[in-house]
Amino acid sequence: MMEGELVDAEIVVPTHLSFKKTQAYEKYPKGQSRGRWKHLKQILQADLNDPSSYISIESPPSTQPCKRICDVTGFEAPYVDPRTNLRYANAQVFKTLRSLSPHQVHHYLSIRNAAPLLK
Amino acid sequence: MPFVSKTRRQTDYNRFPPSVPIVIDNGASYFRIGWAGETEPRVVFRNIVQRPRHKATGETVTIVGDQDPAMMKFFDCTRSGPRSAFDSNVVYQFEIMEYILDFAFDRLGASGSSIDHPILITECVCNPVYSRSKMAELLFDTYGVPAVAFGVDAAFSYKYNQRHGKCQKDGIVICPGFTTTHTIPFVEGEPVYKGSCRTNIGGYHVTDYLKQLLSLKYPFHSSIFTWEKAEELKLEHCYIAPDYVSEVRKFQEGTKEAEEKTRYWQLPWIPPPVEAPPSEEEIARKAAIREKQGQRLREMAEAKRSSKINEMENELHSLHFLVKQLDQVEEDDIPSFLSDTGYTSRQELESTVSKVTQALRKARGDPKDEPDEFEENIDSNEKYPLLNVPDNMLTPEQIKDKKKQLFLKTTTEGRLRARQKRNEEELEKERRNQLEEERRRENPEFYLEEMRAQYKEVLERVEQKKRLKTNGSNTNGNQKSGNVGRGERLSAAKRERMRLLTTAAFDRGKGEDTFGAKDEDWQLYKLMSKDNDDDDERPDSDEAELARLSSRLQEIDPTFEQKVEGELGQASGEAPGVRPLTEEDYKIVIGVERFRCPEILFHPNLVGIDQVGLDEMAGASIRRLPHEDKELEERLTSSILMTGGCSLVQGMKERLECGIRMIRPCGSTINVVQAEDPVLDAWRGASAFAADLNFLKNAFTKKDYYEKGEDWLRGYQIQYNTL
Repeated sequence: MMEGELVDAEIVVPTHLSFKKTQAYEKYPKGQSRGRWKHLKQILQADLNDPSSYISIESPPSTQPCKRICDVTGFEAPYVDPRTNLRYANAQVFKTLRSLSPHQVHHYLSIRNAAPLLK
Repeated sequence: MPFVSKTRRQTDYNRFPPSVPIVIDNGASYFRIGWAGETEPRVVFRNIVQRPRHKATGETVTIVGDQDPAMMKFFDCTRSGPRSAFDSNVVYQFEIMEYILDFAFDRLGASGSSIDHPILITECVCNPVYSRSKMAELLFDTYGVPAVAFGVDAAFSYKYNQRHGKCQKDGIVICPGFTTTHTIPFVEGEPVYKGSCRTNIGGYHVTDYLKQLLSLKYPFHSSIFTWEKAEELKLEHCYIAPDYVSEVRKFQEGTKEAEEKTRYWQLPWIPPPVEAPPSEEEIARKAAIREKQGQRLREMAEAKRSSKINEMENELHSLHFLVKQLDQVEEDDIPSFLSDTGYTSRQELESTVSKVTQALRKARGDPKDEPDEFEENIDSNEKYPLLNVPDNMLTPEQIKDKKKQLFLKTTTEGRLRARQKRNEEELEKERRNQLEEERRRENPEFYLEEMRAQYKEVLERVEQKKRLKTNGSNTNGNQKSGNVGRGERLSAAKRERMRLLTTAAFDRGKGEDTFGAKDEDWQLYKLMSKDNDDDDERPDSDEAELARLSSRLQEIDPTFEQKVEGELGQASGEAPGVRPLTEEDYKIVIGVERFRCPEILFHPNLVGIDQVGLDEMAGASIRRLPHEDKELEERLTSSILMTGGCSLVQGMKERLECGIRMIRPCGSTINVVQAEDPVLDAWRGASAFAADLNFLKNAFTKKDYYEKGEDWLRGYQIQYNTL
């Protein structure tokens, strides 16, 4: 039985709903839920020949020069640390940068999708 | 707060005849459902589902949207986080979609045997046909919906604002949403999807960026930066800088303006309990205990000492007795007599006696007699009588003695000289100290300054040396042991050693082996040996100097603090823990982050998305239109509407206008307006659209769907101009 407060708050969606022709528990018996759905990439395969499709309206890459900012502070970053590949603004940031753990370095890089992929 | 959930169950469902359509804005972040013709959606909630286990019953239950955290204590959420039906902005998980629709219809008050109302539901621009057909099937088959229509949220928002005179029939809608941002050009009041653009960045990315940056900046508090907290901070503090570079420079230079723009968030901080100084009584008690323990130890030591003395006295006694006995024994019988005792000769016995006597004296704590003292006084001639006698006047025995005496004399003299030198040095030191003291008295401040400078210089020198020795990587104190890691370059000494080793290893078979022919060859091994590089033949003079300076400074400078090795410079992200935490450590500073995070909407490459940003998208959309038409372009840019949750960020309009002006030809009219309500206008537009009498012409039934097939559904598009 559900606790009184829970019933009052009606948090849980009822399992049986009169307005449905097929109930969820009939459609998705336990343990069947995950991994049955096509992912977006697979879904898009069907529309490849469409003149205006989900893929075709994707924006082009930018023509403006790429803005380089310091990974740690957000300042303009004229330098790149060859060891960690992080961008940095000045010597002070460089000091901080060198005190980062490899994990933190990886995190900073992965934010801008530049972390080395381990396969 | 522009985003508010409304989940109260509606009671008037049965009041609406089956002809009234239900309108759903199915956005990636929020789900809104209500009745056609009304101005507000009835039910609004976050478009997420959780399937935790109910603790009491063990059942897996479905919870939709954001719920009161207090209620979540009844559930075990460890194995299921909130899940969304969306991948990017496309619905792909229809099981989750079904739970969401269940909840939505339930809260709208549905009670019959099916949902007997036409439905208008929004989808993304150019929704893949798979997603559209699955959604249609779900609505038809599971809920028994009579007719369905699909439309685009941004388009509805544009049409709604067009009706309210905010924009023209030709124009562009820019819609920064939750996971994606779209631009759609409108020509003659109809959206032109061929000309639309989608960049895969949105409010989700802004919040996520903020969350990651803050948790990296404050690793110690990373657990408080939850998704919800980051979202809250974003809505409250983020703004778009008119020009990122000049704005960030203000912060870099620490101007007053930047200071004013910095926001602080003080986390609750409780100072660590200050240890109360122990009371008098306590001190006395402790002292007594210590005293008692000391007493006991002293007694024990005393007992040990006396027993030892006793033992030695006994030994001495027996030895004396032995000697006395020995006196009475005949000379010839001595060896046989002594063989029982373990001594071989009288001399040995005597030396043992004198040793024991000395040890005893020492143990008793008698003053040590210092033979050196009076040795000096004795004339060397008396002490070393043979030294001045020529060799040829001596017997071989005496020559031996003479050599011994010579050796004794030189060592004694050497000792004397060393002592004298020590004394002199001490005197010199005293003199120098006095001199310094005088200088200090003359001008204490100047002297202190000088000392400090000196200290700093020597410290630097010492550290430099240390760094050189341990391969130069210790700038950060990260690697205490000087081992070679992470592509470190070796120190010069190590490099040399490696070179020697490799040449030795590969120097084989070239001609004959002449190694060892010369003595120098063997030096090689010395050079190769591992401890070669940390040879400290002489004690480091710099280090000694450093020690002297620091002790001197400690004496005279109350503010002096000895630099601890490996101490880091002030680093904001440094995890506290080594030093006691202060209130400062619990203060979250949000400065550059305020505009750095939303900046990714204009420069997606900051988070590694290589696509054009908001401003450039407008230009890209215009370029994608099938025919080049300068007049149309002019009309388009003079009616740009921003809608979608992200357009609420402060400074968006100005920045957009400025950005679009940069990419358009000189003199173009650029006019950017914000939608009346960027969050709700899509639903309102859809509601108005569904309320129109022509709505059913745009919808399709289950029969249509199964007769016309997938290709038809792919090309399906409603006519927005009915609005």
